[in-house]
Amino acid sequence: MADDGGWLGRFVDRLPDQGWFKFLSTHVVVPFWWWREPKPKLPGGPRMAVQPGENLQRMMNLIMPLKDKTPVGRATIAMALGQNLDTLYSGLDNVGTIHFARFIIVENNLCMISTYDGDFSSYVRDFIVSIGSVFDAILVHIEGGDAVVPTKEHVEAFVDWVHDRDLFQWPDFATDLFALQDEAMGVPADRPPHEIASLSRAAVLQMKANPNLSLGSGFRSYPGFSAAQIRSKFGEGW
Amino acid sequence: MIDETTSETLDLSNIQGNILKGYRSDLQYVRHIALEVKDRAAARSFLARSVAGKDSGVPAITRATLWADPGPEICFNIGITFEGMRALGLPSAMLESFPTEFVEGMAKRSLKIGDFGESAAVNWAAPFDGSNRLHIIATVYAKDRARLGRVQADIARAFNVLGERDGWARSDVNVLGPAYANDGSPDNRVFFGYADSITQPRFKVPQYPDPPTTQPIAPYGTVLLGYETPLEGVRFRVPMNDELGKDGTFNSFRILAQDVQAFEAYLDEAAGLLMQLEKDQHRQVLPADGEKDIPHVKDRFGAIREFVAAQICGRWRNGTPVDKWPYAPLPNPTPEQLHDFDYDGDSPCPAGAHIRRASPRDGQIVQRAANYARQLVRRGMPYGPDFDPAKPDKAERGLLGSFIGASIGAQFEAVMCDWINLGLHNPDITRFNDPMIGANATETSVFDLRLHDGKNCRLRGFPRFVRTRGGAYAFLPSINAIEYLAKLEG
Repeated sequence: MADDGGWLGRFVDRLPDQGWFKFLSTHVVVPFWWWREPKPKLPGGPRMAVQPGENLQRMMNLIMPLKDKTPVGRATIAMALGQNLDTLYSGLDNVGTIHFARFIIVENNLCMISTYDGDFSSYVRDFIVSIGSVFDAILVHIEGGDAVVPTKEHVEAFVDWVHDRDLFQWPDFATDLFALQDEAMGVPADRPPHEIASLSRAAVLQMKANPNLSLGSGFRSYPGFSAAQIRSKFGEGW
Repeated sequence: MIDETTSETLDLSNIQGNILKGYRSDLQYVRHIALEVKDRAAARSFLARSVAGKDSGVPAITRATLWADPGPEICFNIGITFEGMRALGLPSAMLESFPTEFVEGMAKRSLKIGDFGESAAVNWAAPFDGSNRLHIIATVYAKDRARLGRVQADIARAFNVLGERDGWARSDVNVLGPAYANDGSPDNRVFFGYADSITQPRFKVPQYPDPPTTQPIAPYGTVLLGYETPLEGVRFRVPMNDELGKDGTFNSFRILAQDVQAFEAYLDEAAGLLMQLEKDQHRQVLPADGEKDIPHVKDRFGAIREFVAAQICGRWRNGTPVDKWPYAPLPNPTPEQLHDFDYDGDSPCPAGAHIRRASPRDGQIVQRAANYARQLVRRGMPYGPDFDPAKPDKAERGLLGSFIGASIGAQFEAVMCDWINLGLHNPDITRFNDPMIGANATETSVFDLRLHDGKNCRLRGFPRFVRTRGGAYAFLPSINAIEYLAKLEG
């Protein structure tokens, strides 16, 4: 027998489309819950997995706000990158674990989007060794960048800096969000057990804490292979 | 290239003694004692007296300065966890100067270093179970076990002792059974039967004899803070401040249980499978009559068993490197023969062999800047009862290991994550774990033996042989830093 939930169920289901409810939730309900149970900003980048193949082809979505948010500022960063592009790309090649990397400017943010293999901090550290000086030239145009320049003398700080600006990756299984929130808050996982009905509230509050995020770990058209495995397979050396 | 002409000099009297040299050849018993600071004043007073070294009731911190014969009766060193630094009252600005991995601690980083399933931190045994109460790891080396107890009694007057772990040196007969008796091997064997602690980073310390190797000299910053590091132009952050943090380093302390029975059983299984190969293939595993060159074996089966054990490790059980001697171990390898090999060209050592994964030396690797950049100083001692393959048992035994380097993230974690458990440095082994210490599962484990014709023969179905039973990240402070901690107030 079909269960249409009755008149109350239908009423509740239609609430998100009601203008008055949108106003109420935005200006009253969410602020109230944020006051009552604020969520910490969850760390960026992919999380380590048990299966080795899941630790390959990982995403970095590094968002770096420009100091100068004018067309001139955007042109300056584009020029700084353009002047160093050959060095940058040969340096990325030397790191050996990078599949793809590209730079884009969105809303006065310089974004570095890359796919890499293995441990995040080793990736960033190898990156500094290969092209630290090029990155230094870029970082002087970025908010907060001066604190980590020169990167070769601020390795640990730069790793943390990148981690902080790498987008949080929303879990592929929605309920894993509870465990991530518990861990970030330093409380035992799922004690007491989370009500599944509270997931949407937890999600909304997390999106307040992490306004920019990556939705899941993304699509891959083939299983996890390293950049070196792919190059080796195509006879490109490694 | 690593610069062999560094102008940096060391003040050995400011460096704890267990960093640049080991003690095992002189002092064959060790006790790692887990301590909690309950009374700050008592703890600080102990540290002050330990540095001064003039108090018979407090063990003196052993420094890196050379000993005059006959050497000390005991050696004593300390490592302090992040919570320990806080418990001793280190100012918050200095606490914030420590790197993230040390602040978070080993238990929180466990997934990255392959500690999951049975090895997960929630399953670790006290006292090294990731507890916030673990503040100091005091390490005592002595010539006899009774002396360890007396030193612990002295320590217990200033700290709350959470527990301890004892280890002692073994020779081959202790780990491989009576068949190996009277071999005259030194007491440097660990469970699974291999000679251990052969390869260490080579430092040029004018006061020390040069190690018997032609391996490149490692910059001091490999293992000490405040010096040039192996990563060109990179300086690791010196915690506390430049003066106090200098000459300190980090220790990744691990309690690693070794399932010797499972390891030996798998060698039987693998040798049994290889014995079933066709004759031509069979000779690629071991040449005809090759068993005559392999000591301590009765027949071809036993010889193939040892061949598999050598390929898994990258060394024969007596330490002979497979890279140079793939067919049989040398009867009495010299130090030079043990040390000097590079995996250059088409090495007969499997790419996935344990020692090649952990330290790829000069062989080709994917991360081109990393060949010698992740070297660790290793100090290990076996724990648990001896093992006799004729009477196998399941008693817990293994290794108490200290993996020392100036950066936990750039060295220990990078090796464990990218090389041991992912095989990222060579596409032929990527996605597969280290066969000896990796986080393997019977359903997915893979290891490629390297046959004499250069082809591979794939082994599957081996379990996880090493489980983590505890651990902690500890800072090994300089003598200046210990004196500073001892003088803190409040």
